Amino acid sequence: MKRFNLFFTMFVALLFAQVGFSQTMVGTSHDFSGDTWNATGEICIVCHTPHNAITSVAEAPLWNHQVTAVTNYALYASSTTNATIGQPDASSKLCLSCHDGTVAMENFGATNNGTHFMTGPSLVGTSLANDHPVSFTYDAALATTDGGLWDPATHPSGIPGSGGTIATDMLIGGKMQCASCHDVHNSGGVTSLLLKSNAVSALCLTCHKK
Amino acid sequence: MNKIFFICFCIIIGISIRSNSQSIVTTVHNMSVSGPGTIKATTESEICIFCHTPHNSRPDHPLWNRNDPGSTYVLYNSSTTQATMGQPDGSAVLCLSCHDGTIALGNVLSRTTNITFASGITTMPAGKSNLTTDLANDHPVSFVYNSALASADGELKDPSTLTGAVKLENSKMQCTSCHDPHKNLYTDFLVANSLNSELCLNCHQTTYWTTSTHKTSTKTWNGTAPDPWPHTPATFTNVAQNACENCHNPHSAATKPRLMNFTPEENNCLDCHNANVAAKNIQAQFAKTYKHNIYGYTGVHDPMEANWAITKHVECEDCHNPHATNATTAVAPFVNGFNAGVKGINQSGNPVNQALYEYEICYRCHSGNPWSPAAVTPRVIVQNNTRLEFAPGNPSFHSVAAVGVNTSVPSLIAPWTITSRIYCSDCHASDGASSPAGSHGSIYPRILKLQYSTANNTTESAAAYALCYSCHSRTSILNDISFKEHKKHIQGEKTPCNACHDPHGISSSQGNSINNSNLINFWTGINTPSPGNGAIRFEDQGLYRGRCFLTCHGEDHDGWNYP
Repeated sequence: MKRFNLFFTMFVALLFAQVGFSQTMVGTSHDFSGDTWNATGEICIVCHTPHNAITSVAEAPLWNHQVTAVTNYALYASSTTNATIGQPDASSKLCLSCHDGTVAMENFGATNNGTHFMTGPSLVGTSLANDHPVSFTYDAALATTDGGLWDPATHPSGIPGSGGTIATDMLIGGKMQCASCHDVHNSGGVTSLLLKSNAVSALCLTCHKK
Repeated sequence: MNKIFFICFCIIIGISIRSNSQSIVTTVHNMSVSGPGTIKATTESEICIFCHTPHNSRPDHPLWNRNDPGSTYVLYNSSTTQATMGQPDGSAVLCLSCHDGTIALGNVLSRTTNITFASGITTMPAGKSNLTTDLANDHPVSFVYNSALASADGELKDPSTLTGAVKLENSKMQCTSCHDPHKNLYTDFLVANSLNSELCLNCHQTTYWTTSTHKTSTKTWNGTAPDPWPHTPATFTNVAQNACENCHNPHSAATKPRLMNFTPEENNCLDCHNANVAAKNIQAQFAKTYKHNIYGYTGVHDPMEANWAITKHVECEDCHNPHATNATTAVAPFVNGFNAGVKGINQSGNPVNQALYEYEICYRCHSGNPWSPAAVTPRVIVQNNTRLEFAPGNPSFHSVAAVGVNTSVPSLIAPWTITSRIYCSDCHASDGASSPAGSHGSIYPRILKLQYSTANNTTESAAAYALCYSCHSRTSILNDISFKEHKKHIQGEKTPCNACHDPHGISSSQGNSINNSNLINFWTGINTPSPGNGAIRFEDQGLYRGRCFLTCHGEDHDGWNYP
C-alpha cells in the first residue's frame, strides 16, 4: 500500500508539473524573430506594442499589426448549421490580418508596404466557406437548437489545469473565435498551437456532442 | 486511501457513462485507433478526421476532409418508381467516398499521407458496408421528394409530414434521411427504429398495408433454413417486427427492382410459406405435378403489367398482393383476404384494379389470352375463353359468375342449393384434405382438388369421380333421380362424366338452351355423329328429359329418347 501511495503521489506530482511548466512561444511557428522580413529580431513586436496600439478592432490587445481591410469574406454555410454566422470580428480579425493573405506579415509598426504574404497550409484566405466558422454566438440556445452541441455554460472545457467551462475557457464575449481552438502563444505546448490536444478528437468533442 | 479509491471509482464510472452515452466514439464510425470495430487505424487517434477538417475542407460543408470519388454509379430503376433518379449528390457523395469502396478509408485531405489501417485494409472491405458503384440494388437517394412525387406515386406520404427523425436535404432524399453517421441509436446508424418498419413508414404509406397480415402476424421462424430474415436484427423474431423487411432489403438487394430479399421472385414468399414461419406449406404444393408453375418464369411478371396478361407467366403476385393479404374470410364469389388487393378482369372483360370476385383474378390469364393452350377435351363446341364459358347469359354453366340456370338439381349435397355460388378454387385447388386453399398444385391434372377421371371405360367408383361427387350425391346420380340413364351410362357403359358434360359451361354465342342445357357439350373423342343423319347433339325436352343424336360405344343414338 505504501508503494502504491508513493507512486500515486509521484504520478500526481508529475501531472501538475506537466501543466505547471509554462510553455514558450520561442521556437514555435509564431516566433518570427529569425525571419528575414522581421528586421527587429523581436518576437512580440509583430503583433503587439506597448504604446500607441491600434484600437480599430474591439478588444485588440495592444495591437501593432496592420489590420485586414477585407469585409466580405465568403462565410461557411450549411443546411445543418443553426448558428448565425457573420463577418469575422474581434480577435479573429486580428488573426486574419496575417492568415487571410491580404496583408504582408511585416506590415507592423510603421511598415505598410511589405511583400511577404502568408503561404502554405497556414493561409486561410478570404474564403472562409471551407473553414470552421468563427465569430458566432455560441450559447445554450444554440446548443439546444442544434442538438449536437454541448451547453457552453455548463460543459467543462477539459483544458488541463482549468476547471472552467467552454464559455469561460474558450469563448470570447460568448462567441466562438479562432482563439477558441488556437492558443497563439502556445501556452499549452500543443501541436498546431491548439488550446488542448486533439488526440481522440478531444478538442472537437469539447463542443460537439457527437 | 478510501478517498483516493472513491475518486478513482468516480473517474472510472464517469468515463464509462460517457462512453455508453450515444456518441460516435462507441460506434464503428470511430475508425481511430480507439475505435470499437475491426476497420480501424493503426495509430491515428483523432476520430473526426476521417470525415472532417477545420480548415481547407472540400466540399465546404460539412467541413469535409475527403475526396469526391468521382464515380459514375448504376442507379436504381423500377417500373413502379415515379422519382427522377440522378447521380448521387449532396451528402450522398460524402458517404460514398468511403462506402462505394473506391477511395482508401485513410485518404483524407488534411494528411499528406494516407492514415494506415489495421490488417492492411485500404478501401472499404467487401460486405454490407461496401455498396459498390452499382446502386441499383440500393434504396435510391438524391432524388427530389416533393408533394408532386407523393401524389404521382400514390403510396408516399407528403413530405410535409416528415417532422420526425427522417429529414430531407434540400428537398432530396439522401443517405442521411435514414442514417445518422454520428449516432447508432438503433442499428446501422438508423435515425429511427426499424422494428415494425417504423423507419420505412415515415415515408411509405403502402396501399392496404395497415390491414395486412404481413404487418400484424406474430408468427415466428422455426429455425429451419433458409433464414427468412437474413438482414434484420436477431431481436426481430416475428413477421410483424420484420414488416417491410420480410420481403425487401434497402441495400444490396438480391432482386434490384423493388429491392427484394431474394431472387427469383417466389423465394421471397416461399421462405416463410414453407411451414417454417407460416402454418401451411404452400411450397409443398408446388412440388406436385400439376401446378401454377411459379418456378417456370423469372423476371417476366411486373406489377405494372396489364391486368389481362399478355406474356405467359405466373408468380405468387399474380394472385396475391403481399401488401394487402389478410385473414378475412369470404363466401363465393367474393375474394378471401388472401386474394385481397389483386387486380383482375371482370365478367365483361374489363380490367378492375381490385378484384371483387375470385374468378376475376383467374380471368387475368384464363380469358382467351394470346398464349392460351388449346382445350384439353375436344368438344362439339370449342371455347378456350373461360370467361365466356361462365357468362351469366349462357344456356348452362357452373355457378361461378352467377347463380346457375338449372332450377332443379336434386343431386346437390347440403349446404349446396341451386342458388349457391362457387369459386373456381372449389374445383381447382391443391389436393389433400389438409392442404392450403387455392389452386397452387395438385397430383390431379388441371390442378383439380379431387380425382376427376376422364378416361373412356372408367370403372365407376366414389373415388373415380370424387370431384363431382363432392357436391353431386353419388347416390342421387346412380339412382337416376334426374337423368334417368345416369347409372346405365356411368356404371354400365363406363362412360366418364366428361363425355357428356362440359363442366365450365357453354357460351351463349355458340350454344343454346335446347342443345346445351345441363352442361351438355359432347366430347368428340368418344362421341361421334349418328350415321343416320350425321348429327351429334342433345335436345332438351323438359325436366330430366331429352334425346340424343350421336354414336357412342358403337351404339347409334339416332334420336334416342330419355323420357
